[in-house]
Amino acid sequence: MTTQLISVKINGKTVQKAVEPRQLLVHFLREDCHLTGAHIGCETSHCGACTVDIDGRSVKGCTHLAVQCDGSEVLTVEGLAGLAPGGGMLHAVQEAFYKEHGLQCGFCTPGMLVRAYRFLQENPNPSEAEVRAGMSGNLCRCTGYQNIVKAVLHAAARLREPQAQPA
Amino acid sequence: MEVKLDKRYPLDVEPARAWMVLQDVRAVAGCMPGAAITEQVDDTHYKGTVKVKVGPANAAFGGDIEVLALDPAAMKLQLLGKGADRSGSSASMNLTAHVEAGDTAATSVLVGEAAVIVNGKFAQFGGRMMSQVSDMLLAQFADNFRAAAAALPAPQAAPPVASAAAASGAPALSPAPVRELNALGLAWGLVKNWCAGMFGRRT
Amino acid sequence: MNAPTDKGLERIAALAGIGEPRLRKEDARFIQGKGNYVDDIKLPGMLHMDIVRSPLAHARIKRIDKSAALAIPGVHAVLTADDLKPLKLHWMPTLAGDVAAVLADLKVHFQMQEVAIVVADDRYIAADAVEAVQVEYEELPVVIDPYTALAPGAPVLRDDLAGKTEGVHGKRTHPNHIFTWEAGDKAAADAAFARAPVTVAERIVYPRVHPCPLETCGCVASFDPVRGELTTYMTSQAPHVVRTVVSLLSGIPESKVRIVSPDIGGGFGNKVGVYPGYVCAIVASIVLGRPVKWIEDRIENISTTAFARDYHMDGELAATPDGRILGLRVQVLADHGAFDACADPTKYPAGLFHICTGSYDIAAAHCSVKGVYTNKAPGGVAYRCSFRVTEAVYLIERLVDILAQKLNIDKAEIRARNFIRKEQFPYTSAFGFEYDSGDHPTALKKVLAACDYAGLRAEQAAKRADPHCPTLMGIGLVTFTEVVGAGPSKMCDILGVGMFDSCEIRIHPTGSAIARMGTISQGQGHQTTYAQIIATELGIPSEVIQVEEGDTSTAPYGLGTYGSRSTPVAGAAIAMAARKIHAKARKIAAHLLEVGEGDLDWEIDRFKLKGDDARFKTMKDIAWAAYNRLPPGLEPGLEAVHYYDPPNFTFPFGVYLCVVDIDRGTGETQVRRFYALDDCGTRINPMIIEGQIHGGLTEGYAVAMGQQMPFDAQGNLLGNTLMDYFLPTAVETPHWETDHTVTPSPHHPIGAKGVAESPHVGSIPTFTSAVVDAFAHLGVTHMTLPHSAYRVWQQLKKSGVNL
Repeated sequence: MTTQLISVKINGKTVQKAVEPRQLLVHFLREDCHLTGAHIGCETSHCGACTVDIDGRSVKGCTHLAVQCDGSEVLTVEGLAGLAPGGGMLHAVQEAFYKEHGLQCGFCTPGMLVRAYRFLQENPNPSEAEVRAGMSGNLCRCTGYQNIVKAVLHAAARLREPQAQPA
Repeated sequence: MEVKLDKRYPLDVEPARAWMVLQDVRAVAGCMPGAAITEQVDDTHYKGTVKVKVGPANAAFGGDIEVLALDPAAMKLQLLGKGADRSGSSASMNLTAHVEAGDTAATSVLVGEAAVIVNGKFAQFGGRMMSQVSDMLLAQFADNFRAAAAALPAPQAAPPVASAAAASGAPALSPAPVRELNALGLAWGLVKNWCAGMFGRRT
Repeated sequence: MNAPTDKGLERIAALAGIGEPRLRKEDARFIQGKGNYVDDIKLPGMLHMDIVRSPLAHARIKRIDKSAALAIPGVHAVLTADDLKPLKLHWMPTLAGDVAAVLADLKVHFQMQEVAIVVADDRYIAADAVEAVQVEYEELPVVIDPYTALAPGAPVLRDDLAGKTEGVHGKRTHPNHIFTWEAGDKAAADAAFARAPVTVAERIVYPRVHPCPLETCGCVASFDPVRGELTTYMTSQAPHVVRTVVSLLSGIPESKVRIVSPDIGGGFGNKVGVYPGYVCAIVASIVLGRPVKWIEDRIENISTTAFARDYHMDGELAATPDGRILGLRVQVLADHGAFDACADPTKYPAGLFHICTGSYDIAAAHCSVKGVYTNKAPGGVAYRCSFRVTEAVYLIERLVDILAQKLNIDKAEIRARNFIRKEQFPYTSAFGFEYDSGDHPTALKKVLAACDYAGLRAEQAAKRADPHCPTLMGIGLVTFTEVVGAGPSKMCDILGVGMFDSCEIRIHPTGSAIARMGTISQGQGHQTTYAQIIATELGIPSEVIQVEEGDTSTAPYGLGTYGSRSTPVAGAAIAMAARKIHAKARKIAAHLLEVGEGDLDWEIDRFKLKGDDARFKTMKDIAWAAYNRLPPGLEPGLEAVHYYDPPNFTFPFGVYLCVVDIDRGTGETQVRRFYALDDCGTRINPMIIEGQIHGGLTEGYAVAMGQQMPFDAQGNLLGNTLMDYFLPTAVETPHWETDHTVTPSPHHPIGAKGVAESPHVGSIPTFTSAVVDAFAHLGVTHMTLPHSAYRVWQQLKKSGVNL
């Protein structure tokens, strides 16, 4: 199969690789870049376990081709900590999910975190209903969403604190 | 899964020419996009193929057609078609079609009733689109049928002699080329139809 | 013991033991994307396997042509049943005493059944190869409706069982008949019905659904031809059982088989059984001498892995005019699919369905369950069901509502009249279960007060009287008892292995510890909660207790995690192992303090001399001494193993109340309020319990309000992607209110019962109770799941309700 050379900035580091045009982004990340945080939960782009952030937007990596990312900046869950305001160990969304028990099996969590990160960039002071709508592209079977919503609101409050520099 | 079809297509040809096409199984097959008769086994049995493409997925149904009834007086055809695709879809159709007089002497109506059972992959994945796809398919069929009938020379008031015509192999209806039925094209048609429907028009 | 002092409270808090809402140890890796799920595992030289599946529900296989697939560069093997025959692996034994095809031999029995496997360099080539395998089928008539499966002349599904009139559970009366299982006393029940002034009867259907965990099933099988050892990473809720099964099937001794369940992305009963994909990956790895990975996709998961429910229940209650229940009778038609692979303890082909007398004191009862084969995927027990307890509780709670409606008695009142009274515990039901403890009246009172039940009824009456009210309001109530913690090995075994569980604990010289159990968390937080048990028992902070599960080479043998059995069985094993260590620690402490064992009191984290707080030894001190300063006759080290065979099941219970408002025009149901009170005995980690309950309620909401697996007349499964299969998002999911009471289990070492399936068991009938209640004034007594807007709208039309 013919391959195409792509150059992608992933979590701040440029990666260059020859990929088949039909290779999905999520497989490229998981297998070629060894970033197994993004998960695969379906093949119809419903579950959101594969959610990453491309050029400032939430994207489901399962229905995105690696070649479409040529020249783009991709953020995965592994890169969130690097964006922590003040250079902390964890980003506010990660800490919030921990503190509010927003995860159980952990499979949806990377997608939730990357989406929550982008959602709060888009809407730094959301209501509960806005959080639910904003996160509706990410499915969870374990938590019933209640603590996830609490976690996102908790992170929103943390990020609005004066000492936090928005990433 | 089962789809029941019940269609009436007005034709701007007189019943005689419509019946000329209808009683010719090869010609009828030729009007169906993607279909072709590959072999005539005997008077009432044929083998045929239908090629369907839904986006990237292809299916080539190969199967048997049996003419159950051919009634020139009533201008009625009844046939049973059964086919399977090598990757595991199957379909069977029991079709009754006849030609009726239209409002004027120069028009007629092609009336068809069919029970179609689709099994396997196409039922599983195509189920939600089945009746809309059938509608589109048959609308194309009707267009082709209309054109095929219109292309025939207008008969000189002679009654249709169906079986004689079939036996003598005339008239030569050129079978339409077997074009693959592209359901993406159909899908676009569906979307157009739906949009038109939103504004009160049906194409 | 006296109430702890402030210092004591500090020491208790430092342990973060039982009762603490301790934050989870597991989270660190998950929030950083460093979980280790099966699909994350990459081994050198690993190949990818994919499966060729049948598009038809019932057909003969005429021919399989592998040539085009084998010609694709990068394809290493294409295997069919013929390739497995010499290994006698084309069929495999199921957990239910039947056999299931690994790869279809001669015939396919359900749509998407495995027909062939391909192994290739990567998953893309494998997918190409699957398309290239040509299979010719001859269609056969299908059996989809279980009611027709036993009709004379019905198509016969199982040619391989021809002539076998004795099944594992008794006589088979028809080629499509699997078993008929009975419990209770038929004569007594019939007598109760004969003399009863009031009876109600209803057909209660619990349709087929699927647990659909977010991670699908899969494995990485790696056979080392040099060492003759097989290692398989697998999404398994029962790794030790799988190891035993794999050893028996392959002939490789268990000592050379290692099954590892790493992080698992949700189980919910979907990951208990051994699927053909696992067997084929193992065979492929052995044949090719390289690791082989198989990960199914979502369509495959929904279409072929263990479904849940599909119980068609004809239930009846006999009662007095004031609603006192005299008897219960139920006959069930159970659709098991094409092979009986139902994951039940061997002696119970209908699981624990006979818990169906519920929370009520019913003197006479009889049930019979008839299992049949149909052209659908195998399974039956899955999806947080506690072994058919979802079905049982659904049945009794629906019948009680129907009885209440017939007698015009309030549904809370009729339940209160029939509860097993607190003084009757331990209570032996008409089906022989010995309920350990319960206090339903207290729980019911608490919920009714918290929700202002009287106020809700008044509001409902006012709305019914108002012709302009745009909604129908319904109030659902369920007071369930469920049964978990399988189970005493004299009653419960899986393939002959008793359903005990195990724990080993080893304390290191510097006072931290490692503990391993025979269970395996799929999100339940065992790494956190198990450490809490040990912390309280041994006075070591849970923070320094490392918990491991899932690797059969290191963990003691256990039966796995499903049916809410971890806390009742493994949790007990943990406490018992800890107490063995505790007993040895006392000896060491006495030795160090130069006193007799009887002179010491245990307080929180130390042994101290009676009457002298200044002379004590902490468990940390004792740990150090265990490796160098022991009393004579005592061996070094501080560790213990315990295999716990529970004396009984445990019986968590709860009261759920739900308020719904149904739109008269669209049939859409708004869940205005859902109040869930659960009693699971001793609560180890309230935060984790609450999270589990949210999750179970949400899965219950999904089942009740939209999940379906529709088959057409030819056996095509029409809704097997997430386009159709309803998984609620954060938008639809209601807000959950949780509450609790604590009625410990008297036979459990720490009084805990297990909890995570209760919300699923209890919520589904609560939603039905609420939706039906909205129509009750129009004479509706029951509505079949799911209560999607369209189905509720159909009821609105049927009942003559207009906008």
